[in-house]
Amino acid sequence: MRTCQALWRLVTYRPGLYSANVIAWIGILMAELAAGYVAKLFFDAITDASPAGLTVESIIALVVGVGIVRIVTILIGALTDIRHRYTMGSLLRHNLLNQVLALPGAQPLSCSTGEALNTLRDDVQVLEDTISWIVDQFAFAAYAAVALAILLTIDARITTVVVLPLLSVLVAGRLVSKHIRRFREASRRAAERVTGAIGEAMEGVETIQLAGAEQHIVEHIRVLNEERLHATVRDRLLTQSFHAFFWNAATLCTGLILLAAADGLSAGTFSVGDFALFVVYVGILAEFIAAFGDFMMHIRQAGVSIERMAVLAPENRQEAVVEHVPLAIRGPQPKVTLPQRSPGDRLSELRVENLSFQWPSQTTDEDAQRPSLTRISFTVCRGEFVVVTGRIGSGKSTLVRVLLGLLTKTGGRILWNGYPVDDPASFFVPPRSAYTPQVPQLFSDSLESNIRMGLPVSSDVLHRSIRAAVLEEDIPHLHDGLQTLVGAKGVKLSGGQRQRTAAARMFVREPELLVFDDLSSALDVETERHLWERVFERKDRTCIVVSHRRPALERADRIVLLREGIVLGVGRLSQLLETHQEMCDLWQGQAFRSGQRP
Amino acid sequence: MHVPIKQYYGLLSKYLRPQRSQVLALSLLILAAIGLRLANPQILRTFIDTATESGPREVLLRLAALFFAIAVFTQGLSVAATYVGETVAWTATNALRLDLLEHTLQLDPTFHKDYTPGQLIERIDGDVATLSNFFSRFTIDVVGNGILVMGILGLLFREDWRIGLPILGFAVVTLVLLVWIRKLAVPHWTKYRALSAEFFGFLGEHIAGREDIRGNGAEEHVMRRFFGFVQSMFPVRLRSSLGGYGMWMANVGLFAFGHAVAFGVGASLWRSAMITIGTVYLVFHYTELLRGPISELRTQITDLQRAEAGIRRIRALLSTESCLANGGSASLPRGPLALAFEHVSFAYETARSEANGPPKESPRVTALHDVAFEVDPGSVLGLLGRTGSGKSTLARMLVRFYEPQQGVVRVGGRSVRDVQLCDLRRAVRKVPQEVQLFRATIRDNVRLFDPSITDAQVLQALAQLGLRDWVARLPLGLDTMLAGDGGGLSAGQAQLIALARAFLADPGLVILDEASSRLDPATELLLEHAVDRLLEGRTAIVIAHRLSTVERADQILILDDGRVVEFGAREDLLGNQDSRLRRLLRTGLAEVLA
Repeated sequence: MRTCQALWRLVTYRPGLYSANVIAWIGILMAELAAGYVAKLFFDAITDASPAGLTVESIIALVVGVGIVRIVTILIGALTDIRHRYTMGSLLRHNLLNQVLALPGAQPLSCSTGEALNTLRDDVQVLEDTISWIVDQFAFAAYAAVALAILLTIDARITTVVVLPLLSVLVAGRLVSKHIRRFREASRRAAERVTGAIGEAMEGVETIQLAGAEQHIVEHIRVLNEERLHATVRDRLLTQSFHAFFWNAATLCTGLILLAAADGLSAGTFSVGDFALFVVYVGILAEFIAAFGDFMMHIRQAGVSIERMAVLAPENRQEAVVEHVPLAIRGPQPKVTLPQRSPGDRLSELRVENLSFQWPSQTTDEDAQRPSLTRISFTVCRGEFVVVTGRIGSGKSTLVRVLLGLLTKTGGRILWNGYPVDDPASFFVPPRSAYTPQVPQLFSDSLESNIRMGLPVSSDVLHRSIRAAVLEEDIPHLHDGLQTLVGAKGVKLSGGQRQRTAAARMFVREPELLVFDDLSSALDVETERHLWERVFERKDRTCIVVSHRRPALERADRIVLLREGIVLGVGRLSQLLETHQEMCDLWQGQAFRSGQRP
Repeated sequence: MHVPIKQYYGLLSKYLRPQRSQVLALSLLILAAIGLRLANPQILRTFIDTATESGPREVLLRLAALFFAIAVFTQGLSVAATYVGETVAWTATNALRLDLLEHTLQLDPTFHKDYTPGQLIERIDGDVATLSNFFSRFTIDVVGNGILVMGILGLLFREDWRIGLPILGFAVVTLVLLVWIRKLAVPHWTKYRALSAEFFGFLGEHIAGREDIRGNGAEEHVMRRFFGFVQSMFPVRLRSSLGGYGMWMANVGLFAFGHAVAFGVGASLWRSAMITIGTVYLVFHYTELLRGPISELRTQITDLQRAEAGIRRIRALLSTESCLANGGSASLPRGPLALAFEHVSFAYETARSEANGPPKESPRVTALHDVAFEVDPGSVLGLLGRTGSGKSTLARMLVRFYEPQQGVVRVGGRSVRDVQLCDLRRAVRKVPQEVQLFRATIRDNVRLFDPSITDAQVLQALAQLGLRDWVARLPLGLDTMLAGDGGGLSAGQAQLIALARAFLADPGLVILDEASSRLDPATELLLEHAVDRLLEGRTAIVIAHRLSTVERADQILILDDGRVVEFGAREDLLGNQDSRLRRLLRTGLAEVLA
C-alpha cells in the first residue's frame, strides 16, 4: 500500500468536515496575513509614505480588530481540526482492531501484543498528525500565493532575489530527507522492544516475583532502554539538523532583504513599511518552508507507520486499514445483529476429509516444534460426543483450531450436512458452533458480560448455561454476583472459575456444535464430574472435545486418536484399546497412576 | 490544583544530578543562543538608520554579513543543544522508567489484579514519554526564555523608560493570563490520559483474546465496546485539546494588544523626534521578538500540562506501596525446611487507595479461617479442595503474596514476616499454574535473565527434565528465541521450562500448583519423574486437582471454604473408612470405572 494512496483514502473519508477544516485554516492564515499588512500601514503612516492617508489611531484600532478576527478564526479551526483528528484516529483504530480480529484466531500475530498496541497508539497518532498537517499545507499555499502577490506588486526585483533561494532550499531539503526514514524505523523498533518487554514483565509479574527475578528483568530492560536511547537521539539529531537547515535558510533570506533593500531605502523608493512587510512575510514564508520540510519528513514517517499497520492486517487485505466504514463519534452506533438461525444451520452431519495443515515456512525455527496435520478424516453425526485424543504435540488442539478456521487449513475439505464449507472461519461461529480454547481468555468487564459477550439472550438461557458450566455455586460467593468485575484477563477469578466461565460463554450461545479444548484441566475432581454429567445430560448436543480424561473417553461415541498429526484410528474406546498400543499407553498412563490406590 | 514546584524540583534533581556536566553544557549553549537573538534586532536598527540616512554602502554590506554569520552560528548551537538535550532527557527518563518498572514489579498481586498489562505499559512508558521534554528543555527553556524576555525589556528600557514600561506591563499581563489558562486545562488532560490508558488496556486484552472472540463469534460485541470508548472519550479529548488552542488564542489576542501599545508609544516618541525611525522599528521588532519566548513558554506550558498529568500519575504509582512490608532481616538455611501454619486467618481486603486509580473491587471473599497444620522437613503435603476453597491463597501466603490478618506462617521455624523477602523467595519456590514465557532466548527464559547462572547449569536443569535432546536439536540451541506468548512451545514444554526454573533456584520448599495439568498422560509420566527429582530432599506442597497427584504425598490436607476439614498422614486417612479422603477416592473410583 502506497503512502499517498492511504493518505488520500483517509482524506476522502469525511470530505465535508475535511474541506471545512481546510477553509477554516486558510481563514486563520489570511487573518495572520492581514496582521502583517497592518504593520506596513503603520510605518507608512508615520513616515508619510502612505497613499491611503490612514491615521495612527485608526491603524491601532485596526490592529485590535484584526486580533479579534484571528481569535475567532482559530476557534473555528480548532473545532474542525480536533473533530477531524479524532475521527481519523478512531477510524484507523477501528479498522486495525477489526483486521486483527479478522485474522485466524489462533494464528500468532506478526508481532507481540505490546508491539501491536504500540502501533495502535503511536502509529495511529503519526497518521492523525499527518492528515492534520496536510490541511496546514493547503493553508500555507494560500498564504504564500497572496503574500507573494503583495510582495511582487511592491518590488518585483527584491521579491525574486529573496524568494528564489527559498525555493532552492526546498529542493535541497527533499534530497536530504531520504535518510530520515531509516533512522526513524530503527528508533521505532527500539521503542517497540522496550514496550514489548515491559508488557511481558507486567504479564509475568507473578513468575518474576516468585523467582525473585525483579532485578534481572530490570537489567534486561535497561539494556533495551540503552539501545532505544541511542536510536532515538540519532533520529532526533538528524531531524533537528534538517530543521535547522531550513530555519537557517529563513534567516539568511532576511539577510538577503537587507542587501537588496539597501539602495531602495537610501533612495526612498522602498519605505520602512515595505521593509517591515518584507521581513514579516518572508519570515513567515520561510517558517512555512521549514514546516513544509518537517511535513515532508513526516510523510516519510507516516509511510513507516502505514507499513507497520499493514502488517497487522492479512496480507491480501492491507488496504482495509484505511477503508471507509460507518463510524459515529457522537450519537447512535450501528446496531448489533443477532445471529439468525436458518434451517440450513441445523447440523445433521459434519464430515472432515483429508484435512491438512502446515505452518507457513517463513516463520521461525520454533514452528518446527509445532504440530502439523496430515490428511485427517472423521465424521461427527448429530447428537454425538466425539473425543480427540493423543499425547502432547500430537496435534489435538491444532485439529480443532483448523476445523474451526482459527488456523487456515492447507488442504482437505470440511462438509456440513454434505455441503463443503468454503470459509470455516466465518462459518464456524454461533449459532452453528461455539468454542472454548485450552487457555481461555476473559476480559476486564463483569462476569455476565464475559459470558454474554454481547449476546442479548434471556436470563433464563443465561442461567441455564451457567448451570451447565457448573458455575452456579460460585456466583453467590462472588462480591457482586454476576456483576462482579473479573479484572484484567479475569485474574480475580480462580483458574477453574475462569475455565468454567469460558464454558458458560460457549453454552449460552446454544450452538449446534460445541467444541472444547481440554475443558477440565484446571478443575478439581468433583467439579469435573459435575461438568461431564451436565454435558451428557442433554443428549441432543453435538460435541467435539479435546481430552484425555477417562470419563470423556468412555462416553465417546467416537474417539479420534492422533499421533504426530496423523489419525492412528477412529472408533469407540473398546475398539481402539484392542487395536492400538498408543490408546493403551494413554489409557494406562492414567490407569497406572490410579492403580496405586488401595 | 497543580503540582507544587517542589515536586518538579524533586524529580529534576534526582534524575538530572548524575548528569550535571551535560546540563551545564546545555545551559551554556542555550545562553549563547539567547545573546545572539538579542543582538540581531540591534543590527537591523543600525541598518535602517544607516540606510535611511544614506550611509556608506560598505557599512550596509558589513552589517548584512554580520547578520549572516550570527544566523549560521545560532543554528550550529541549536543542533548541539538538541544532541545534549535529547541525551540528557533520555538518560533521565530511562532511569525513571526503570525505577517505575522496578517499583511496579515489587507491588503485591492485589495491585496487579487491578491493572491490565496494557495500562501498566501506558503508565511506565507512556507517561514517562510525556516527561521527556520536561527533562531536556523545560527548566532550561523556561529559565532561558525568562532571561530572553528580561533582556528584551532591559534593552527597551535602555532606549527610553516610556517604551520599556508599557511593554513590561504587557509582558506581565500576558504571562499571568497564560498561567491562569493553563490551570483550567490540566484536569481535562489528566482525565483524557486516564481514559486513554483504560482504552489501550481494552485493546491489548482483546488482541490477546482473539481466539476466544473468533471462536464464539463475538467480534461485533468487541467492536461495540470499542465504539463505546470512542464516544465517551470524544468530549474529554475535545476539552483537553481546546485547552491547548485556548493558549494560542490568548496569545494572539494579547499580542494584538501588545502591538497596539508598541505602535502608540513608538509613534508618539517619533513625532516628538525623541527616537529614530530605526528605533521605532526596533521597538516593533522586539515586541515581535517577545512572541518567540512567550510562545515557547506557552508550548512548554502545554507540554507541562501533559508532564504534570504524567508526574501526578507517576507519583501516584511510586507512592502506591506494597501491602506487604519488606520483611525482617533473617535468612533461611539451605536444605529442606519445616513449615507450619499457626491459626492463620485471612480475608481479602475490599479496597485500597491509590490516587487516580480505577475503583477497586475485590470480589472474592474467599478467606482462610483458623488454618493450623505442620509439615516436617523433607515431607510432601498434598493439598486438596474445590476450586476457590483457599488452596491458592494458602500457597500464596507462603511466598508472602498475602499476609495473614491473624496467626503466623512459619517456614524453617521462622515467621515469614521476619525473613527477607528475597531470601524467602529463593528458599520457597512456587511453580505457578500458568507459565509465563518471555520474548528472549531459551537460556534467559530458564534462568530468568540472571547472568550469574551459567549455560552448564541451564543445560543441567534441562537435562534433569529430559529437555536436553530437544535443545540439542534446535539449530541455535540455548540461543533460540522464544515468542513471548509462548506460541513456540507446547503447554507441556512450557511447564517443563517452569520446572527447570525451579530446579535452578534449589529451594528448600517447593509449591507445585497443578503443575501437571493440561498434559497428556504419556508426557505426564515423564514430568512426574522430573517432579520426583525436584522434590527429592525438599519439603513440598502439591496442590492437586487430581487424586493421582496425591499418591506422592506423605500428608494430606483438605480445605473447604477456607477451613481445614481434614489433615493427617495419608496412610492413616486411607485406613479410616469415614475419612474425606476415602470418600473422595470413591468418587474418583467412580470417575475411573463409570
